[in-house]
Amino acid sequence: MNGFYLALFFILQYSMKLKADIPNNNPQNWDPPYLSKDPEPMNCTTIVNAFAQYASDLTRCSIMYARPITLCENCIKEYMNFHTKYQELLTTVVNGTSCKSMFISQDRLDAVLEYHDNILSIWDKGHCNACYDWSNPAAPTLSNQTVHFNTLYKETNNCIQKYTAENKSEVCNKCMQEYLQLDDYYKTLSEDAVGVDSICMDVFDSMNATRSTWSKTYNCCKLRRSPEIIFLCCAAIISALPLFYYIMLRYCGPIRDFPNVLKQSRFKQTILRSINRRIN
Amino acid sequence: MSQSSNSIADGTASSISNVETTSDTAQLLSHEEVASTSNHQFNKPINFEDSDDDDEIHGSHGIRRRQPPQKIEPGSLNILSAKYESLDYDTCENHLLLDEERKRGYPFFVWKDIARWFIILLIGIVTALIAFIIDICIEEFSKIKYRELKKSVDKYVLLDRLYIPYLLWVLSNICIVFIGSMLVAYVEPVAAGSGIPQVKCYLNGVKVPRVVRIKTLLVKAVGVITAVVGGLAGGKEGPMIHSGAVVAAGISQGKSTTFNKDFKIFQYFREDHEKRDFVSAGAAAGVSAAFGAPIGGVLFSLEEGTSFWNQALTWRTFFGTVVSTFTLNCALSAYHGRAGELSYPGLLNLGKMDPFPFQFYELPVFMFFGMVGGMLGALWNFINYKLAVFRIRYIGTPWLRVVEACLVAAASATCGFLMMFLLNDCRPLGEDPTKVPLQLFCADGEYNALAAIWFQTPEASVRSFLHDPMGSYKPWSILVFVVCYFLLSTWTFGLSVSSGLFIPNLLTGAAWGRLLAILIQYMLPSNTINPAKYALVGAAAQLGGVVRMTISLTVIIIETTGQISNALPIIITLVVAKWTGDFFNEGIYDIHIQLAAVPLLPWEPPPLAHNIYASEVMSHPVFTLRTVENVGHIVELLKLVSYNGFPVVDPPLADVVEITTYKRLRGVILRSQLIVLLQNKIYNENANTTWSNLNVDMNMFRSEYPRYPSIDQLEIADWEKTCTMDLRPFMNPSPYTLPHRASLPRLFRLFRALGLRHLPIVNDVNEVVGMVTRKDIARYRVWRHRGHMGMEELILSSEI
Repeated sequence: MNGFYLALFFILQYSMKLKADIPNNNPQNWDPPYLSKDPEPMNCTTIVNAFAQYASDLTRCSIMYARPITLCENCIKEYMNFHTKYQELLTTVVNGTSCKSMFISQDRLDAVLEYHDNILSIWDKGHCNACYDWSNPAAPTLSNQTVHFNTLYKETNNCIQKYTAENKSEVCNKCMQEYLQLDDYYKTLSEDAVGVDSICMDVFDSMNATRSTWSKTYNCCKLRRSPEIIFLCCAAIISALPLFYYIMLRYCGPIRDFPNVLKQSRFKQTILRSINRRIN
Repeated sequence: MSQSSNSIADGTASSISNVETTSDTAQLLSHEEVASTSNHQFNKPINFEDSDDDDEIHGSHGIRRRQPPQKIEPGSLNILSAKYESLDYDTCENHLLLDEERKRGYPFFVWKDIARWFIILLIGIVTALIAFIIDICIEEFSKIKYRELKKSVDKYVLLDRLYIPYLLWVLSNICIVFIGSMLVAYVEPVAAGSGIPQVKCYLNGVKVPRVVRIKTLLVKAVGVITAVVGGLAGGKEGPMIHSGAVVAAGISQGKSTTFNKDFKIFQYFREDHEKRDFVSAGAAAGVSAAFGAPIGGVLFSLEEGTSFWNQALTWRTFFGTVVSTFTLNCALSAYHGRAGELSYPGLLNLGKMDPFPFQFYELPVFMFFGMVGGMLGALWNFINYKLAVFRIRYIGTPWLRVVEACLVAAASATCGFLMMFLLNDCRPLGEDPTKVPLQLFCADGEYNALAAIWFQTPEASVRSFLHDPMGSYKPWSILVFVVCYFLLSTWTFGLSVSSGLFIPNLLTGAAWGRLLAILIQYMLPSNTINPAKYALVGAAAQLGGVVRMTISLTVIIIETTGQISNALPIIITLVVAKWTGDFFNEGIYDIHIQLAAVPLLPWEPPPLAHNIYASEVMSHPVFTLRTVENVGHIVELLKLVSYNGFPVVDPPLADVVEITTYKRLRGVILRSQLIVLLQNKIYNENANTTWSNLNVDMNMFRSEYPRYPSIDQLEIADWEKTCTMDLRPFMNPSPYTLPHRASLPRLFRLFRALGLRHLPIVNDVNEVVGMVTRKDIARYRVWRHRGHMGMEELILSSEI
């Protein structure tokens, strides 16, 4: 699954390259002093400026939507800006000097690359790309799965809220239908039924929250526990069987003859025997 | 007095025969009369200082010797079986060997050396492939089994019918174990257990019957798959070592007696010496494949097997182990779709441990862990010993053993299911990779932690205990798990299934190590305790307390965790565990070897035994053959006694019957050689004709190896019995001998270091007065328990 996203990422990167010459109309607020004298790399400075702005936007957005996690859905615009600008930075060449060579891997600190990786790591850790349909790499849309999940999720939530307002104890019975539908649909989303490595974090978190509310706040899973008398009886019988078996063998087993000791032939015995013979 | 004399004579006679004493006494006595008139006269008074006539019952030098009973209760540790034979590590330097050397010269020597390397390469590859097949089968079958069980649980837990998946589990366990147990009980009983005790005996120089046959390998492989898939508390690592040994013995001989197929290759390796060397390399390759520990494998074969440091063999063995782990790595990586990544060096992979930093003040903590491990290991061994004795005494017939194995399989399932049912230890999904997350009574989005342990192979459980973060398990569930698994594993080892004890003990140890880590964390809330460190140390301590291996176990654990810097904690733990355990009883392998009454020679001779002389150790009435011997006499002697080596002596100078003499030693000849000679009728009608045995060469002896016909299977016509046979070209003309005044330690060292089988004892004029074999030495056994130490003289029996 990871490989798939890796491949996706590369395709994405490749397609970004083709669009590297998008005109940049972001305002310039600040000029680095040591670069301002040089007219040619000004273009690069513009790009970096914009990149810094997008990075801060994405960071802000991620933090704003951290709890409950909806950052994948809400920050897609920021992410796309951020990502596109970074690709632009990597690919732009001004008069034979690439912007990459000016800003990336120049020193020990390597701040641009480090910040880029750090900001992106949140996005990747949450498998946010999995929320989207990337058939149009420039403008991703929420995938059908996410949309469908969201619909089911809203239904369930509405149901729970509605019945909580009316009668709290009724929630379990009334909303069981919706909840099970949501749960089953969620289980189909990932292959390993755990979903930790492939499901978009928004979906994952919504489901977790719902499950937690469902089974802890409303205690709707208590139906699972039941006395299971037959099971306990079976277990008791089966664990007693070996004991009976051993006792039976111990007292009813066939009595076997014990092995004989082998007399060893030693020098001393021979001497003794010969002495005896002589005496006799 | 006459009564006592009779009983002594009786005893002497019965010692030379396997038949019932009561019915055949008269016959044996008459035989002995014949023998003593012809060439056995024992009663020549010679100048032995210690011919004091104290009762033979009492040992002479403060050795504890029991009142020899007539019958022994089975299941005793203080007994040796007379049935086991030794391997011949010593080369027989007879004329045939000299002939061969002269004819073939140096090219043959070089060719043999190349062939050895080639065989070692093959051994490494084949062992790894067998390990691969076993591993894949276990993994795939387990996956299917647990997936179906999970489906069933998920379905029936909502219907209040949990007994259906439970019975399903019990039934599947029983069915799978039944197959393996039937195979082991009826087809090849020697394939039971881990096989390490048997391999250890073989490498020590004892010929354990059927231990290195291809049939044993097949039963072992199928048996271990069924045992692990069947949910028993057993591992596949020990059987891997046995499998490696069988592979080595098979490949190096270039033939299979089971399939009656001779590939006509490697005939020159068909002798005990070469075969044992290859088996030690094979066992090492097995260790290497099992644990991904090539150096551990080499050290295992050195520690358990070889009697001296053989540089060339060790080097070849190391090559074999590295090939084995590399092949397995390639195969497993390719299977898991990561070809070329080489991330599966062995069957057991504890996962990469980070080097854990430790402080000086932690060393006492490791010692404490070692002590706990030693005591738990001793308890484990004690319970297993009691069970083994019970099994020997009351569970004799194969079908009873099969039923027992099935009951244990059912009990294992019961144990697991009850723990899942009663301890509701829930963990949120997705924190760690769980293959089969079972919800059971947990809230949605959570899974039962105990079910996760029980619904996977034990290797994966060990990894979970080592690597999961602190607080993943509730202390109570770990405690219950430790107790259950401890008892289950000691109950399982010794059943009639082939499974090892490494993994169950590592699992138990890792579990209680983690439990102790949690307790330490409670006591020292300000420190951050690394549970992986203590779990690993606990696992090492538990395993060390049970098996009591030292060097190889340390290296194996270091290699499976891939951290050399953890060596000091592990060594300290293992040393303390071994010492603590040795205070109470022997290691589990030694207990099982002693129960099997195998005459195993320990590393060192008994201490304080310099006052025991060869004249006491040796078997006294020696049955000798003359250099030119009558065929009838040879046949009669071979039928009469069960000995395997006979001193060849000069014929007496005069045929005076009354004067009894010992005769001068000329060489030693083996029963197997005599049998081959008789089979090929290498004898003459007339003793004085010239010998024309030009067509006799070493291959005549090699073609029969290793299973020679018994003397009763040979057809010797009456007229042939008057013929004579010249033994001189075939016997070993220069056997190692010792004078009768040699002490036991001296004798022991010569015997053990050279891997001898027969050691004639001579008097001052090189006349044979006695013979020492392995059983004569092995009966002096040192015990040291609970602060006391002593030497004991064991009794022999031919019916065990």
